[in-house]
Amino acid sequence: MVVVRTQPTSSRTAPLSETTVIGWLHKNLFSTVLNAVLTLICLYIIYVVVKGLWIWGVADAVWVAKDRRECFDISIDGACWAGVIQWIDNIFYGRYPRTELWRVNLGGLLLVLWMAPLWLPRVRAKIFIGLSTVFLYPFLAGYLFAGGDKSLFMQVMVTLAMVCLAGNTAHAIIGVSSGRGLPDTLLRWLGKDQAPEATQRNTLLVLLAAALAVGYALQTGWTEEVVPWSKWGGMFLTLVISGIGIATALPGGIILALGRRSKMPVIRVMSTAFIELFRSVPLITVLFMATTMFPLFMPEGFVLNKLVQVIIAVSLFSACYMAETVRAGLQAIPRGQYEAAHTIGLGYWGMMGLIVMPQALKHMIPNIVGSFIGLLKDTTLVSIIGLFDILGMLRSVSQDVPWRGLHKEPLLFGAVVFFVVCSVMSKYSRHLEVKLSAGAKR
Amino acid sequence: MAVSETDSASVRVKPKERFDFFHDERVRSIFYQLLTAGTVGWLAWYLITTTAHNLEVRGMNTGFGFLTATAGFDTDFKLIEYEPGIGTYRRIFFIGVLNTLLISFFAIIASTVLGFFVGILRLSSNWLVARLALVYVEILRNTPLLMQIIFWYVAVFSILPRVKNSIDLSGGAEVVFLNNRGLYAASPVPGDLFWMTIVAFVAAVIGVFFLSRWAHKRQDLTGQVFPTFSASMGLLIVVPGIAYLATGSPLDWDIPSLQGFNFKGGVSLPPAFLALLVALTFYHAAHLAEAVRAGILSVDTGQSDAALSIGLKQNRVLALVIIPQAMRAIVPPLISNCMNVVKNSSLAVAIGYSDVVALFMQTALNQAGYAVEMVGMTMAFYMTVSLSISGLLNIYNKRVQLVER
Repeated sequence: MVVVRTQPTSSRTAPLSETTVIGWLHKNLFSTVLNAVLTLICLYIIYVVVKGLWIWGVADAVWVAKDRRECFDISIDGACWAGVIQWIDNIFYGRYPRTELWRVNLGGLLLVLWMAPLWLPRVRAKIFIGLSTVFLYPFLAGYLFAGGDKSLFMQVMVTLAMVCLAGNTAHAIIGVSSGRGLPDTLLRWLGKDQAPEATQRNTLLVLLAAALAVGYALQTGWTEEVVPWSKWGGMFLTLVISGIGIATALPGGIILALGRRSKMPVIRVMSTAFIELFRSVPLITVLFMATTMFPLFMPEGFVLNKLVQVIIAVSLFSACYMAETVRAGLQAIPRGQYEAAHTIGLGYWGMMGLIVMPQALKHMIPNIVGSFIGLLKDTTLVSIIGLFDILGMLRSVSQDVPWRGLHKEPLLFGAVVFFVVCSVMSKYSRHLEVKLSAGAKR
Repeated sequence: MAVSETDSASVRVKPKERFDFFHDERVRSIFYQLLTAGTVGWLAWYLITTTAHNLEVRGMNTGFGFLTATAGFDTDFKLIEYEPGIGTYRRIFFIGVLNTLLISFFAIIASTVLGFFVGILRLSSNWLVARLALVYVEILRNTPLLMQIIFWYVAVFSILPRVKNSIDLSGGAEVVFLNNRGLYAASPVPGDLFWMTIVAFVAAVIGVFFLSRWAHKRQDLTGQVFPTFSASMGLLIVVPGIAYLATGSPLDWDIPSLQGFNFKGGVSLPPAFLALLVALTFYHAAHLAEAVRAGILSVDTGQSDAALSIGLKQNRVLALVIIPQAMRAIVPPLISNCMNVVKNSSLAVAIGYSDVVALFMQTALNQAGYAVEMVGMTMAFYMTVSLSISGLLNIYNKRVQLVER
């Protein structure tokens, strides 16, 4: 006799441990006696810590007071957030003139505007947008923050940046709505999309020249009041130093990494020595070197201000770390890619620029974000050599007469700020890692 | 026939090697190298001459003569003898170096132990334990180390009770005290015959070495497992213990006692040392925990299944199969962790622990000048330490990696 099942067996219901809360609790928290004990210990720790923090930081805390004594009068055991609240502008902007704060905010807003197209779908030429953020945005923001008279170089750079920003934004809007790029659309409007290539190129060049002329005219009429660098501070200064640090570290790191992998012995040895030198010493020694030795390196009568010294030191330091990130990215590219590039007749720069680097950079993005997080945290070291970055500002709360001795609250506030910024970025880089490797795995 | 045909064809097709000076790869390579070397050389020459000129104009002294000059300032924490006004700058340098090595040594050990512990907790089957470990790791890794160091210093170790109300950490035995001036602990003072105990200990270590070799051999021959671990522990405790008691317990303790305004006797560690040690330990343990977790996860589950199927017990599986393989992935981050501890100990300068940066690169440099020499010496010290740590552990790493093949 043969039995043939014509209907599939009905599936069993999921075990209780997978569906009910009790089952979950039993499986994950109380599976053995040891686990049960551990769970109870953990619950007790959480209870004590959360209760302590709640009572100190929220329930008994003082939010409005005019000095620390008043805080004590209101509540002796609670946190005194009033001091932090009163210093909040200093913590974020340093001693930047209060009437000029809009410039810092506008600078941040422009960066968001500039980089937003990178995340928008259907926008083309994202590499160009990314590169222009690194190479042009700093000049526009730099002038916005510092103000004063523009040198010829600054005039050119600010013009380029303004035109680029306008172009980027228009390009992104057109891209999102129609999926086309800016040059295509312009040519269509002018009815030249069927014209020969040379005409098209000339038309675009004329348009670019016109845009640059308009931009130049606009920027000559634009002057801002000088804000000396010594007034920069707080989170703003931290972001400026680490932003410039990472923007210069990327090209520097690529050059150093290529040098280290070069076949030419002199270049390889020099790059390796440079990278290892900076990687084997702590950042603080590099900063001390910058402040004590850079003035000696300069020709007589030429004085670098401390901020520039620090930025040079941070850039050199992070370029060497970036070089190792880039090197790891380059090593991940299979040999076949190099060989294929040679076979189609590309030279060294063609091979690197068109074939290897685009692939390697894509895989490096998560690590670059990681380096930026590291640099952002390391930038707090500049407070040791007397710059008032966010940590410097947080520490000066306790030096302020009304708030003398108020240490814990500002530091905790700063820790929360860093925690939020850094963990959001690291979550994002982990997400990118998954997203970018999804295509490679097939 | 066929052979000669192909031969003649290949001779005909072969392009004539013409030496093209501008497009020859070797010529270009030499040209680029000369260009780079020339640029770097010129830059170095320019910096050296400018620096020399600036030093001369400013009337600053140069050379390493200052090393034998006496330093006029004191330091609160030193491992070797030093008197301000008598001790030299060389001595100051060595005090700083020793202090850096001391804090790094303890921080490396403590962070490695804590890091492994937290890394294993991260993999606990208990959901709550794993979550708590994750929270610890995330908080510590996403805030700047300098902020943590300052927090421990100003918010914990500086507001401890005064000397009179010291916390007794030994639970009433009055041998370890903690107060706002630091940690005071009893220090051992070896007596006349204490060397006998040390000799016995060394003998026990040698004994353990031979015991484990013998146990291995016996297991290979007979398959019987000898309880090497408990036997060695017994040997290490019993033999020196007997020697110690037989020679009449020749070890005294120098117990710190309250005299006047402070404790006298014993060993003492300043609050800055404690704050730095705690901060470095917690911060680096969080970083190491992630490496440990990734290392253990990198071992394929098939390995532990296979080990269990040949009848090994759970703890033997861990010790013989999982951990040896996980170590391959853990050792490289362990190397960089050790180096980072040494480098990050330089943040001591922010809270005034006299490490080599604070003492030599800051205080001594401000007192005596000699910027180039002092910066150079400090950097050379860190480079030596970093390169030797990475060298030593790379040797170990190579040995572990070789097992793979």
